Amino acid sequence: MRHYIKVELLRMLRNKRYVIFVVAFPVGFYLLYANLWGAEADQTTGLRGSVLLMVSMAAYGALAAAMMSTAVPWSQERHSGWLRQLQITPLPGRAIIATKLVSSLLLVLPSLLLVGLAAVLTQHVTLSPLRWVELILAMWAGTIPFAALGLAIGSLLPPDTAQPVAMIGMFGLALLGGLWFPESIMPAAMRSIAHLTPSYDYASIGWRIAAGQAPHAADAAGILVWGVALVALALVAYRRATART
Amino acid sequence: MNAIAFTEVTKRYGDVLAVDGIDLEIPAGATVALLGPNGAGKSTSINMLLGLLRPTSGEIRVFGEPPDRAVAAGDVGAMLQEGELIPELTVAETVDFVRRLYPRPLPMEEILRVADLTDIAGRRADRLSGGQTQRVRFALAIAGGPRLLLLDEPTAAMDVESRRTFWDNMRAYAARGRTILFATHYLEEADENADRVVVIARGRVVADGSAAEIKASVASQAVSFLLGEQPVAGLDALPGTTGVELQGGRVTLRTTDLDATVAALYRKTTLDIRDLQLHGADLEDAFLALTKET
Repeated sequence: MRHYIKVELLRMLRNKRYVIFVVAFPVGFYLLYANLWGAEADQTTGLRGSVLLMVSMAAYGALAAAMMSTAVPWSQERHSGWLRQLQITPLPGRAIIATKLVSSLLLVLPSLLLVGLAAVLTQHVTLSPLRWVELILAMWAGTIPFAALGLAIGSLLPPDTAQPVAMIGMFGLALLGGLWFPESIMPAAMRSIAHLTPSYDYASIGWRIAAGQAPHAADAAGILVWGVALVALALVAYRRATART
Repeated sequence: MNAIAFTEVTKRYGDVLAVDGIDLEIPAGATVALLGPNGAGKSTSINMLLGLLRPTSGEIRVFGEPPDRAVAAGDVGAMLQEGELIPELTVAETVDFVRRLYPRPLPMEEILRVADLTDIAGRRADRLSGGQTQRVRFALAIAGGPRLLLLDEPTAAMDVESRRTFWDNMRAYAARGRTILFATHYLEEADENADRVVVIARGRVVADGSAAEIKASVASQAVSFLLGEQPVAGLDALPGTTGVELQGGRVTLRTTDLDATVAALYRKTTLDIRDLQLHGADLEDAFLALTKET
């Protein structure tokens, strides 16, 4: 299974779509936005723009990585016959989905770390070592619901619909979660929807940690509930997609 | 020991009975062709042997075990009909990944050599031709060194030259005492590459034996001549005769023993026989006779 994970990582790192959306986008936009608004302070969190944007863009990159590395590749493997190829080897079925999830979590790391690195190098963002560790661990673990959502999409839909659904889901969650624009400028109705999304909970936990505050209980509870629900959905969908009749 | 045993196996998809009571035993070490027209139940049978499909009733054993367990033990390798590779991985990476999933894999160099891939080992899967992709899929089927190799119409996408090379490679693999079952609708492939041919049609085994036995078992040999106004009665009683057809004054006798039928025609009848024609058996005729809709 370790070799299987290695192979999964290798192929995604060679995938142009992954590299562009997941690695180049968040870092590029961070550099752009931080130059424009990096010095301003955010009213709600009190964070400097360069720190707030670091969390937002890292959150976007991680969310995108979690969904891009799962939904479409997995749907394609099911339809192209690669899943069958694996099913007729001694590899147990549960190892396939476990590997997909673990690989996806590893593929989240480049965007998290590179955006952080860009923030340190270009905007001279400084956090205490403990704060860095907390932030990265929280933002890493927080991608589990999105990876699960991607796997569920890949299990339920054929590749040509999984692709737009994953894209809309990814950008929709990023927008509603306030990763691109602060939720404080959203209209009231949209804001109340935004607060229900896992992406808002996810980013909000990151902002709080970066500001040196404990995350809101509501955000932690929100992402936990989403996590349990989406992992359960992913497992049910996986079982359905691989059922032998 | 039997590599494969089907006991009264059926498989139903809704209203369609794809496999209708197959009993079949294949001893270890045999190379067997599963011959039949499209929709005969070949792929369904192979998918059941791999545990990808479950029989509706009956039982399948692979080396005495249920298919799932034989697959998990690494005893089975297969080349299924469709199947793409991971586009971003090279041939060598793909083959190496799959061989590591098995407990007793073949050495990497041997797989590449047997599947004729040594020259393109470093090429990415999305840059392979159709024939090259088929070779990689064959490599994946043998990578684990399985005791049982299942091939579902393996040469479907190949040109004549690749086909010949493919069967040479397959025979090299079979030569080491391994069991091979391949599905095909090409009679020639069955005749040339298998020591036993199982003909299936409409989900049933309709003939089972060597290619020669199958030819002989079917009354595909025939003698015909102009009968004119003479009576047809009694011709069906001639030795070997299995059927009599009369069409526009010409009668055709289907027979399992051409020599005996012709001899009796001259010695035991007083008919005036004109324009006698003999039709020998070939596997094509046998196949059509066995698999035609009744």
